[in-house]
Amino acid sequence: MLSARELDRYKRQILLFGEEGQKRLNSAHIFIAGAGGLGSPISIYLAVAGIGTITVVDKDVVELTNLNRQILHYDRDIGKKKTASAEEKLMAINPDIRIRAVDTTIDASNVSRLVGRADGIVDAMDNFPTRYLLNETAVKKKIPFFHGAIRGLYGQATTIIPGQTPCLRCIFPNAPPKEVFPVVGVTPAFIGMIQATEVLKFLVGDGKLLKNRLFLWDGLEAHAEEIAMEKNPACPVCGKKEQKITGVKKR
Amino acid sequence: MSIKIRFFARFRELLGTDIVVEAGADTDIASLVKRTAQKNKEGYDAIFDDRGKFREFVIVMRNGKRVETADANKIPVGGNDEIAVFPPVAGG
Repeated sequence: MLSARELDRYKRQILLFGEEGQKRLNSAHIFIAGAGGLGSPISIYLAVAGIGTITVVDKDVVELTNLNRQILHYDRDIGKKKTASAEEKLMAINPDIRIRAVDTTIDASNVSRLVGRADGIVDAMDNFPTRYLLNETAVKKKIPFFHGAIRGLYGQATTIIPGQTPCLRCIFPNAPPKEVFPVVGVTPAFIGMIQATEVLKFLVGDGKLLKNRLFLWDGLEAHAEEIAMEKNPACPVCGKKEQKITGVKKR
Repeated sequence: MSIKIRFFARFRELLGTDIVVEAGADTDIASLVKRTAQKNKEGYDAIFDDRGKFREFVIVMRNGKRVETADANKIPVGGNDEIAVFPPVAGG
């Protein structure tokens, strides 16, 4: 049941999703990996939309160089843990939801436990090795995975639904080289909003998801493009597993 | 025959985009992209390694369908093909 306060708070989006949709948002648990450039706008907008439980994981401390884009963190937060800063802001933005801020490095030993039984995993990472870990966890647990990445004024996003779409490894078998990437805040904000929109649509069951399509944004040209993506039958993450299952069935 | 080559993001900055090139019947995708990229060394180096192979993260599409870059030197282009070449980004 939505409280009178919640009916008021979410009034304008209940016009869109109905009370049923809002209830789905309220009972959902979304896992956001990273509280940086992508994680900031994503967590803010999922919090104001009333996602009932939001887990945010980050290992870093707020630095001055983060502040051109990581809008969860303010000048006064420099030196503070990003998770502490994120928790404080998100709780202030919407005290009616639960925020779980976890200060740790996501790695192979803890990723499954951290994700738990979340309804969705949002990729707000800044590196491919961790993205691949999250992707494997998403595939294993059959949890939707909302990918986004940026560089400069360019960005990409796609929605991975295990079993229905290619996984991140099918789409990007090899990671781009590591670098200190150039970035201006508007780009992660833009791509983050595509990811957050996908999360909301997925949870309320509305619209057409960004499935089997890679969205490419060129902010320099103000040009958006999408490219059809297919599963790689030989994918080491999602391909092999299905072959294995088929193999068992045959026996 | 005319083939259109589209570079994206950083590749576009270095090489331009929507480049229409003429190709003979036996031309394969890899050599056509290579030939087109050769006009700018930085652009070429961003896409190909020093052995002239596609860098492993580069994504090549032909008419909206993914092409395995390892096979791109065996796939001949066809008239009115559109070849897209782009680099995934990794920041967040």
